[in-house]
Amino acid sequence: MTQAGGHTERVRQRTHEGFLRHKHFLFAQIATALCVVAVGVYFVTANALQEPPSGGSWIGYTLGTISAGLIVWLACLGIRKRVITAGHYSLKAWVSAHVYLGLSLTVLATLHTGFQFGWNVHTLAYALMMLVIASGALGIWAYATLPQRLHGNRGETTRKQMIEAIESLDRQMHDAAQPLDRAGAEAARQSIEDTDLGGGFLKRLTNSYGDCANKRAAAKLRALPASSSAVQAEAITKLEGLMQQKAEVLGLARRQMQITAFLEGWLFVHIPMTFALLAALTAHIVSVFTYW
Amino acid sequence: MAQEFHLKLITERAGGGDPIVRERHLAGPELTIGRATDSDIVLTDLTVDPLHAKMRFAGPGRVTVESVSGLPFQVGGRSVQRADIDVASHPVVMFSTYSLSFEPAPDGGTVVTVTHGEHAHYPTRSIFSLQSKVFGRRKMAWTFGAGIFLICLMIPLLFAGMLSHAKIHPDQQWSTGPLSKSHAFLETDCKACHTKSFVAVRDESCKSCHQASHDPGAEAKVLAKSKDGGSPFAAVLVFDHADPKKLTKATPLPDGFGAKVTTIVQRAFNHPTDRCASCHIEHTKPNQKAKGVDATAPLSDKPDMVVVQDCQSCHSKLKMRLGKTELIDTPDWGRHPSFRPLIMTSADGAQATFQRMALTAAPQEKNNLTFPHRMHLDPLGGVARQAIDLGAARGYGAALECASCHKRDASGKGFEPITMEKACGACHSLAYARVGGELKLYPHGDVEKTMMLAGGGAMGGSDRMRPGTIRATPLPGSAPPSAISGSPFRQGGACFDCHTITWTQAGMPHVAPVKLAAHYMPRGAFDHNVPEHGGPGASKAGGYKCADCHKAAESGQASDVLVPDIGKCNACHGQPKTKTAAASDGECATCHSFHAPGKASPKPGHPALETLRWSAMMAKKPDA
Repeated sequence: MTQAGGHTERVRQRTHEGFLRHKHFLFAQIATALCVVAVGVYFVTANALQEPPSGGSWIGYTLGTISAGLIVWLACLGIRKRVITAGHYSLKAWVSAHVYLGLSLTVLATLHTGFQFGWNVHTLAYALMMLVIASGALGIWAYATLPQRLHGNRGETTRKQMIEAIESLDRQMHDAAQPLDRAGAEAARQSIEDTDLGGGFLKRLTNSYGDCANKRAAAKLRALPASSSAVQAEAITKLEGLMQQKAEVLGLARRQMQITAFLEGWLFVHIPMTFALLAALTAHIVSVFTYW
Repeated sequence: MAQEFHLKLITERAGGGDPIVRERHLAGPELTIGRATDSDIVLTDLTVDPLHAKMRFAGPGRVTVESVSGLPFQVGGRSVQRADIDVASHPVVMFSTYSLSFEPAPDGGTVVTVTHGEHAHYPTRSIFSLQSKVFGRRKMAWTFGAGIFLICLMIPLLFAGMLSHAKIHPDQQWSTGPLSKSHAFLETDCKACHTKSFVAVRDESCKSCHQASHDPGAEAKVLAKSKDGGSPFAAVLVFDHADPKKLTKATPLPDGFGAKVTTIVQRAFNHPTDRCASCHIEHTKPNQKAKGVDATAPLSDKPDMVVVQDCQSCHSKLKMRLGKTELIDTPDWGRHPSFRPLIMTSADGAQATFQRMALTAAPQEKNNLTFPHRMHLDPLGGVARQAIDLGAARGYGAALECASCHKRDASGKGFEPITMEKACGACHSLAYARVGGELKLYPHGDVEKTMMLAGGGAMGGSDRMRPGTIRATPLPGSAPPSAISGSPFRQGGACFDCHTITWTQAGMPHVAPVKLAAHYMPRGAFDHNVPEHGGPGASKAGGYKCADCHKAAESGQASDVLVPDIGKCNACHGQPKTKTAAASDGECATCHSFHAPGKASPKPGHPALETLRWSAMMAKKPDA
């Protein structure tokens, strides 16, 4: 039984096919075909148009309708992924189509603009769309590369273990600092209480913790005048060791956070900008027909 | 009664459950509070000094707590160095995370309950996710979405009209591109053209500023509208190409499947393709295909022009769509109808009468003039001889050519009217006497005066000199004119050769009035100034001279119509370069402007925008 399970596992590993390679790049092919046809039709018809090409010509309306439909459908992934279905269209197929058709929008919508841009709601919708696509592209890269890096970084240590290690080190520091006078105790307290593991978005993304409280506390501790008391001197040495250990755990945890920030960060642009895009797209369509 | 501190140390269990309570009794008089292990009350918080404070009884029911480290502690939320507290009021003294609660003991002492408050809170695994720390994606999404929806859609939609006079124009963000310079003053007033929401710009909006009229009052009103509206330029006024209703009826679906579908769809969506705005496009970058447009300029002077429907698509089978039309179909160059110039049918009345006649019908003009072009242009004839004799000093000196009589007008497009004195007078002298070295001339066109000068109609014969010859001996001015000039109206007289003269019963001459047509095609705008049309300047090979079109050298009568037919135009226009070097475009609009079909299309961008400035216009009209 165990053997059978192991066997199944191996097969699954070997035939695993991510959303990018789904069905031998079926949706990549569809999206490419769509782009090639659109570019071909555009350059043949736009040349025959009397007026400068824009969203207002028949090709413009056609490309606009396709693009708007695609945007709405792509946004529906948010709904689709929350619904568990047993149908043919697996979530993987959806994601695959989402990725490739989403990328094809860069071509379709750009042709729709007729290369006319300005400081207006129409270009705003276009810019938001490009931002959503760019963040999505970042997401593809993140999903394709980062999980491995995340694993490589943490080795065999789990995230829970990292937090527990810090907690334990803090407790040890607290106890070790008891014999110290005010300045030494303050350094220990600083490391225990003021150390911010994560921090804001940029801090996580850049992994820059130059002002780390633990680091400052260690410096403070080193700067203390040599104590006459043997007990205190011993405590300080112990504390320094603990802080060094804490710095190592912090470094590991923060690198995890940095990779995680990359892995998740794009969604913080992708999702809000999608909503902004849907609103701008509505404004774009309604305004065009209001002032027809 | 001994005063004692009853210490109660309460420690929470790490795993939860009942707290551990340890009690001690300390007799005082003074207790130490600090982190040091030898303190009476040990507080392990690192912000507490090894010896932080002391406390002692200060009378019945009263305790004094005093810092000895210089670091403060808190009583009732205030940081203090020293506090005298009334135990009966159950005070609480805080040392960092430790709280010391005081209450009277039954034995007269004081119970001090030491509790360690807050424990360090450690994050869970979720701290690794951005979601724990940063901001909610969902919140952000709804904020951005709702914000854009409100600012970019709802506010412009609902308040554009209300705020149109304010400095903020919320609907300006909807503009797909800049307006041309001529309409730039309307940039913030969308409703000036887009009067009705969800309805494409209608001609009424355009016509309110651009409708030409035969009534100057109405035109002034239209111009005033654009001026009041803030336009720095006078609007170019134009007529409709035709009655808009007839125009719609006469316009077929355009050629090509795609164009047909587009038109049908546009019409179905209430976006007709025969509106002013269908051809005159705004809010777009300069049309690089339009003639004379600087595609690199950020703004066009005027709206871009696009051709929605070509001329021949309407002007073919027109009778099928417009039963009663008198317009002749012109489906292509080959089937362009013959010219139908206005031909003078009578010059007898005060006003000449005209009729349009096709050149194919070989019409004859009734202008009452006797003038053979052939004789005058014969290079070997008497006229040529005389012209040579007159010499270059008098503007001749060679055989006559067209320009000897036909002088270009100021524009160069046409010619000045022929006057007898200027065109004919050098040879056909009106002189009848010389008085004091000055020639006396018959007044051309004034029969009565001429008769008087000539001594009445009873005179016979003629003492007419040969043309160009001045009498050798001056005639005495006092002599009766009849004696010297005879009658110019009789055969051999000065008038007789060119005019048809009849005599009344009273013996007076009647000269049939001569009128010369100034324009044969008054609604045409043939430009004689073009080098290929015989105008000045270097023309392409194959360009025309006068005689190539006007067969004057073969014309023996003034009634011959010398206007060439359309075939002459077609020799160059609409021909490929392989056929003639002078090949030119065969576009209808070259000769027939859309808004004024009888005139040539104005050059692109004409008139230049700056010339339309009100100030420039006013400067030209000092009385205005």
